[in-house]
Amino acid sequence: MRDFPLWSLPASVVLVALLCLVFCSGLTRVTAAPLCTNAEAGCHVLSLANLFDRVIQHSARMHGISNDLHSEFELYFLPSKNQIGRVSRNCHTSTILTPNGKENAQRMAREELTEVILKLLVAWRDPLWHFHQSMAHYHDFNDFSSNKSLKMSDMVHELRNGVQRVVEKMQTLGILSNSVSSLSSPEAFLTSDSAEWRLMKDYELLYCFRRDSNKVQNYLKILKCRIVPEDGC
Amino acid sequence: TMKKVGEVLPLLLLLAFVPHTDGTRHSLPGKPTQIRCRSPEKETFTCRWEPGSDGGLPTTYALYYRKEGSDVVHECPDYHTAGQNSCFFNKNNTVIWVNYNITVVATNALGRTFSDPVDIDVVYIVMPHPPEKLEVTVMKDQGWPFLRVSWDPPPKADTRSGWITLIYELRVKLEGESKWEHHLAGQQKMFNIFSLRSGGTYLIQVRCKPDHGFWSEWSSTSYIKVPEYLHREKSVWILISVFSAFILLILTCLIHMNSRSLKHCMLPPVPGPKIKGFDKQLLKSGFSALVVSDFPPTTSNYEDLLVAYLEVYIPEQQEPMVDKSTDLHDGCLKSTGHTSDSDSGRGSCDSDTLLMDKCEAAKEEEQQLDQEGSQTGTEAQGHQEPWEKEAMTCARKDIVSPDASSGKAETWPSVFSPVLPYSPGPRGPQSSLEMAKQHCLSDKQFPPGPLCMGQSTKEALQSNYWEVCFNNEQPHAQTEAQQQLQAHRDLNVSVNDKKTPAGLLLPTRSTDYVEVQRVNKENLVLLHPIPSDHGHESSCPPTGQGTDYSKVKRVDNGNVLLLQRDVVEEESTETNAATESCYTSYITTATQKPTTCSQAALPVQDERVLTVSGYVDTATMFSLHTC
Repeated sequence: MRDFPLWSLPASVVLVALLCLVFCSGLTRVTAAPLCTNAEAGCHVLSLANLFDRVIQHSARMHGISNDLHSEFELYFLPSKNQIGRVSRNCHTSTILTPNGKENAQRMAREELTEVILKLLVAWRDPLWHFHQSMAHYHDFNDFSSNKSLKMSDMVHELRNGVQRVVEKMQTLGILSNSVSSLSSPEAFLTSDSAEWRLMKDYELLYCFRRDSNKVQNYLKILKCRIVPEDGC
Repeated sequence: TMKKVGEVLPLLLLLAFVPHTDGTRHSLPGKPTQIRCRSPEKETFTCRWEPGSDGGLPTTYALYYRKEGSDVVHECPDYHTAGQNSCFFNKNNTVIWVNYNITVVATNALGRTFSDPVDIDVVYIVMPHPPEKLEVTVMKDQGWPFLRVSWDPPPKADTRSGWITLIYELRVKLEGESKWEHHLAGQQKMFNIFSLRSGGTYLIQVRCKPDHGFWSEWSSTSYIKVPEYLHREKSVWILISVFSAFILLILTCLIHMNSRSLKHCMLPPVPGPKIKGFDKQLLKSGFSALVVSDFPPTTSNYEDLLVAYLEVYIPEQQEPMVDKSTDLHDGCLKSTGHTSDSDSGRGSCDSDTLLMDKCEAAKEEEQQLDQEGSQTGTEAQGHQEPWEKEAMTCARKDIVSPDASSGKAETWPSVFSPVLPYSPGPRGPQSSLEMAKQHCLSDKQFPPGPLCMGQSTKEALQSNYWEVCFNNEQPHAQTEAQQQLQAHRDLNVSVNDKKTPAGLLLPTRSTDYVEVQRVNKENLVLLHPIPSDHGHESSCPPTGQGTDYSKVKRVDNGNVLLLQRDVVEEESTETNAATESCYTSYITTATQKPTTCSQAALPVQDERVLTVSGYVDTATMFSLHTC
């Protein structure tokens, strides 16, 4: 009947203690609250600051990926350094007027800034998608870069949705006036030079997007610290 | 050749002259190298370069830059703010997210030297100043101290507006150590350091970095001394005690779990009893098991231990039996071991000379007497008139021969022996007994009490059980044996009275011998008739039916009470012969059977008894046999 070995008892004691530790630590963990937009009963309404933080984090991640891709591209195809001067033409988003300095950015109204952000994000949706398609043809590029390009194009889309959500929230809160008309029809952002990006080479595309993602991130931060200057500013 | 020499010579002279006049060589300035531009707050930036050789001539450096998308070349607006070989771009001249193409030109009297162009974007060249106002304090967390480090961002970096986001890193080391301990603090401007060495001095530095940029320089060092808070030895002792307590607990549990096996190992168990047929488990439950179960053996086993059969003699007189009852106690009351075979007791009647019926009757009588046990040599009186006479007749016959063979009357064992109070009767399966006959006798003349002999009327003939129940309320009875003897006596007495008690249900012609099968708890003597062989004819002449008792001729060593049919004393001679012969065979058969109890002869008394009246005092006889 009692034929289990002697050593099994301390082993079982230790196991029980470990299990207790695991469970106890699990009990103290805070469960995530579900998101809801219309403040329905039983769900947590995210604060504007929270929304901003999420969006900013997303843009930061997007910029990181674009930075990595750009560096890899430089390493592969342009071994000599300081080749950024080789950009033959301007980025296709150069037509979008973006503040190039802190004073300029701070002087800009919230609505303008928000529009700029949205314009940028919309302008890059198609080019990134095509960039991802062209990446597949590169045999030299590893799969990791290919995945990054895909992720990058997805993130642009997600970020744009997120920013729109923030804008909606701001408008409901009365922070933002309803003059931001570009929300409903993002295609209005596209200028006549929208096809210009097709002429750009892949490297130039990466270069331009790297910059623009940085702009988006920066503008979002400025907006956040201007509207909801809680912790982090 | 002469021409060539003429050309070379002035050149050589020129070369020789030049050093003499200047002392140094003059050349174009060297190319400025290492152009590095940094922005501390993403609003301004400074470019620095390394000048090359100046070529021996005063060399001036100029920085030209071109912005992206424009071909206009600008020159550095400020060469002095940032120091030598630097160019400072103020806020008005700084554009973010715009590519700068910068070139440094060294110029001297001989010419200009261009450096390699450098493309920069201010966003990616941000290197802030180190954090300021580093403060370290010692705080206590439940008795354990820790360091709280706090700082401020560099003043110029505008983190408040969100223009620039800084992340911080600090490093700690004990005084005297060489290796720093790095901690990443993220965007917070405060950090806690735990697990300090008691009494040690710590050095702390902090630096910062924008999310895409360069790390700043380390801030100035802050020194902090941690107070003494706990002796190292005490903590060690605490650890040791806890650990040992844990081990002790485990050991205790182990021992407890395996206590049984340990006990078995160290203290081997006492070997249990090994008695054949003994059930150890039953014994453990208590000694009542012994009593309750097969010991005393049940009905089926009685036959193994008890006498196969007993011949019952009904005593003639009460008094002599009473007197001699005491003697019976000394004797051995025993029951013969009876291997109940079919011819137990029948053998005596198998002889030609015997009438079967009579023999059976006689046997019954004998058995009845035997059951009484305490009486030896008493003459059993037939309980029932019909068979009594025949039994007596048979008995007589039997008695005759033994007389001839041996003049010794021997006691015959009684059914009831004190040693084996529940001596079993003949074996059940072997016996042909089927039913028990109960015949209760109740006679008023018996002060002690009624004696019962049970007989069922279902089967009159063979295989009848006789149960003799005895009343223990005997005045003389003191011991169990005495009681039994008493009972026997009573039975005998009652029978001798020749009064057929009411309720006698003896069959008319049942002349079977009765074997005492066993004596049960209630002092019931269970008789079983010996299956008689009807084929045998008893040559015993049927005697008169008047006599209701029989004389005991003697008791031989076969534990057989020899009945002597004695209807009339005068007729004894005639009938005795017949009866004696009848009994002879019976006796012989009886002797063959082993007896469990030793027999004590009753020589003197028996002879006396016999000689006197031919009657055997059953009391006397029975007293001799005690087992």
